[in-house]
Amino acid sequence: MPDDDHRPPSAAPAASPDAALPAAGATALQLVVDGEVVQAQPGETLLDVARRRGVIVPTLCHDDRLHPTGACRMCLVESSDSRRLVPACRHPVAEGLQVQTDSERVQRHRRALLALYQADQPEAVVPGSELDRWMRRYGVAAGVPALENQRQGRPDDDNAFIRFQPERCILCARCTRYCDEVEAVAAIGIGHRGPQTTVVTAEMRGLLDTSCELCGGCVDTCPTGALVENKALPRQMELADLPTVRTTCGYCGVGCQMDLTVDREKGEIVRVASPPPGTTTNDGNLCVKGRFATGYVGHRDRLTTPLVRDHATGELVPTDWETALDRATASLRGVAARHGAHALGFISSSRATNEENYLVQKLARAAFGTNNCHQCAAT
Amino acid sequence: MTNSIGEIRDADLVFVIGSNTTEAHPIIAMEMKRAALRGAKLIVADPRATWLAGFADIHLRLWPGTDVALLSAMAHVILDEGLHDRAFVEQQTEGFEQVRDAVAEWTPERAEAICGVPAADIRAAARAYATTRRAGIYYTLGITEHTHGTDNVYCLSNLVLLTGHLGVRSAGLNPLRGQNNVQGANDAGASPIFLPGYQRVADPSVRAKFSAAWGAEVPETPGKNLNEMMHDLRHGAIRGMFVMGEDILVSEPDVAGLDAALPGLEALVVVDLFLTETAKRADVVLPAAAFAEKDGTFTNSERRVQRVRAAVPPPGDARPDWQIVSALLQRAGVDPVAGKAADAVVPSDIYAELAGLCDKFAGIDHARIEAEGGLQWPCPLPNHPGTPTLHEGGPMRGKGLLVPVQYRGSIETPDADYPLLMSTGRTLYHYNVATQTRREPGIVARQSACFVEVHAEDADALGLRDGGRCEVATRRGSIEAAVRVTPRVQKGMIWLPMHFAEARANLLTIDAGDIVTGTAEYKVCAARVRPLPEPAAG
Ligand code: SF4
Ligand code: SF4
Ligand code: FES
Repeated sequence: MPDDDHRPPSAAPAASPDAALPAAGATALQLVVDGEVVQAQPGETLLDVARRRGVIVPTLCHDDRLHPTGACRMCLVESSDSRRLVPACRHPVAEGLQVQTDSERVQRHRRALLALYQADQPEAVVPGSELDRWMRRYGVAAGVPALENQRQGRPDDDNAFIRFQPERCILCARCTRYCDEVEAVAAIGIGHRGPQTTVVTAEMRGLLDTSCELCGGCVDTCPTGALVENKALPRQMELADLPTVRTTCGYCGVGCQMDLTVDREKGEIVRVASPPPGTTTNDGNLCVKGRFATGYVGHRDRLTTPLVRDHATGELVPTDWETALDRATASLRGVAARHGAHALGFISSSRATNEENYLVQKLARAAFGTNNCHQCAAT
Repeated sequence: MTNSIGEIRDADLVFVIGSNTTEAHPIIAMEMKRAALRGAKLIVADPRATWLAGFADIHLRLWPGTDVALLSAMAHVILDEGLHDRAFVEQQTEGFEQVRDAVAEWTPERAEAICGVPAADIRAAARAYATTRRAGIYYTLGITEHTHGTDNVYCLSNLVLLTGHLGVRSAGLNPLRGQNNVQGANDAGASPIFLPGYQRVADPSVRAKFSAAWGAEVPETPGKNLNEMMHDLRHGAIRGMFVMGEDILVSEPDVAGLDAALPGLEALVVVDLFLTETAKRADVVLPAAAFAEKDGTFTNSERRVQRVRAAVPPPGDARPDWQIVSALLQRAGVDPVAGKAADAVVPSDIYAELAGLCDKFAGIDHARIEAEGGLQWPCPLPNHPGTPTLHEGGPMRGKGLLVPVQYRGSIETPDADYPLLMSTGRTLYHYNVATQTRREPGIVARQSACFVEVHAEDADALGLRDGGRCEVATRRGSIEAAVRVTPRVQKGMIWLPMHFAEARANLLTIDAGDIVTGTAEYKVCAARVRPLPEPAAG
């Protein structure tokens, strides 16, 4: 089927013209999707319309935050204005269009394309990756011999956070477009030619020697696991089996939502990822601190037991909670008794939760009788 | 923030002042870039050529500490050219005449002489701001960490009120909070003058309400703010401290004075993750849980209450702060949560008691957040959707107050002995005093030690070499740092990050605070720099 373009892209995708923004207030037009008449706004794509109807069209190079490029061919559908299948992610709607998102021809294309992608992957695809999910959903056509994979990585890149595994890359350019269009630092790009085409940095330098800010957005957007957190790399194939916990970043006041993948047995945070774009305030993004600076949580310097000062030696010595809490209460009470409640000060923390701050001010006011209570960094 | 983070991308003008947003709030900066790429005008007022300033249509590169002059001139232009929103000013504000009189003399030319920003740029910025409807102001510590921080904020709110940029999507006045839960800590009443929900301690009916709920009398005597407590600690009026989650010996200004005063304390109880400098001096150190080890809520800059969830257990015997404080309350004879056995209390009970005492949060509880995601207060009822944009349909209570402000110079400015202006701030890679980020090797590989940004001409005059060592000294103390010669700073000023314990920027900063809030002056003091001999090789 020469007209069904299911070759993996072999070169850098062309720069996209315009984002598919519906023009506000423009008159609606009608088209037929899978036999049903639907409304659309000029400027929308077939993918926009399909998604609104809850129709699943598989995509790999698409990310709502990025200009569509039509690079991966995963989203091809039948459309009455073209003899060839068209990429739903960038094909504009038009009045009267007849669209088939799940015809036999489209299904054949999906299996064949996925077979090519698989032939180009080194071994098993990464479980839970977008590529893996489409393979499971649509199946993979049989009989495509493995391709010899010639993409190069950056073996000398010694940054501690982000690893690039070139053999897993499908050149969808999500990472490079993210770096350019969202993070706006353009540290990585698509380079080299033909079968050597790969994700590059200037002169293949390590990320620490580029404009990279280590936000890790490239890792989150990668549909294959070619980009992976260094820390999670040894366990990449089991990540999908580990539980995740949604929480709020503990660093700055943006309050990014994050999904922590955890190993409950070891009590370890294995990776930090953003919830999908469009679902939380951070829209799929995190910064270097939120994503990568969680090592302190399980750090060996953490305090693991209460300490009290031994009056004889002047040293802090480990003790149990009962003793420590009694000592704390008695010493604060002693000050209040000797000098009055206003000789006490309570400093709460802008890092602690609302509930904890509430209790600290209650402690100051209700238990010790002073309004001398403030959070550190009251700005 | 009066408005929400998600509204930034639809703005037509973004005015950022005193915020190195790309480094301090990277995800908000992404939204600003997104707006700018869409065609929104970006105005950045910052003494340094920050990354975002490089992206801006207009960079107002003012001299540190002269914000009031700049902003007064902007107000002057707006009034002089009749660009203010007359109807809004008339119906929704009071104090117009006083502000008009206060800025009457502040021509852009007069401001230029003080703040160094070309008069033409001040005019252009003022005109663009006043004539764009979806125009939001964003600021952070560069505005508040001054002895005239409150004045700066009044100047900004005057601009918002004069132009009616309030209650409009993508507009408003938006402080970006530094720490994750500055907003929530204030909301929850960790304040000397406010009980939870910004209810005044001074109000007897408020005290009566809380006293009844807690079964213990709320004291009437006004409390001391952080700066005052630190001052009293240095002077022996504070004799016992409870410090949770903060390393005051590193993070507070004039730490040398504080250090000397600590032995005079008769009680120091510290709750922390690590044996910090402050914890090392304590009588009792209680090991706490990190954010990923506990349940509760944080409230972000846009007033959105979101869940924090325990993902891993705390190490050893460490416990969440809420458990620790509950146990202390119990020992003092106060129920952590009224009507509930102390050892059965969970964080959702604590939030319920808090919300039950505050109309602003009354509609919020853990179960709702669980089901609906975060909720933005005010949210007075269980079926209220929350409030993304404040003041829609007019200022919340009564009329917006326009406040006249007079320009005052910073308390300590360069002189013959200390000829450089020193300013401090944060970098992308570290967080506050970096007790956490410096335990991440990958971060340390990116940025491992203290540096000081110096302008090339000053470096030449002082014999400083890029990458060489130097000593930075002020009247309070001195530190060592690596020299970074860069056009990011102006001639005559230096800038250094506050993250590094062995080169504590706060040994250098002045012990002075904003007269109203007590927020410390971290942005302007006088310093001198001299090169240090290179360590001998081998
Ligand atoms: S590394 Fe991942 S995101 Fe980047 S081009 Fe390859 S497959 Fe796409
Ligand atoms: S991920 Fe970065 S921007 Fe988001 S809350 Fe955490 S520190 Fe702030
Ligand atoms: S071509 Fe449409 S998702 Fe890749």
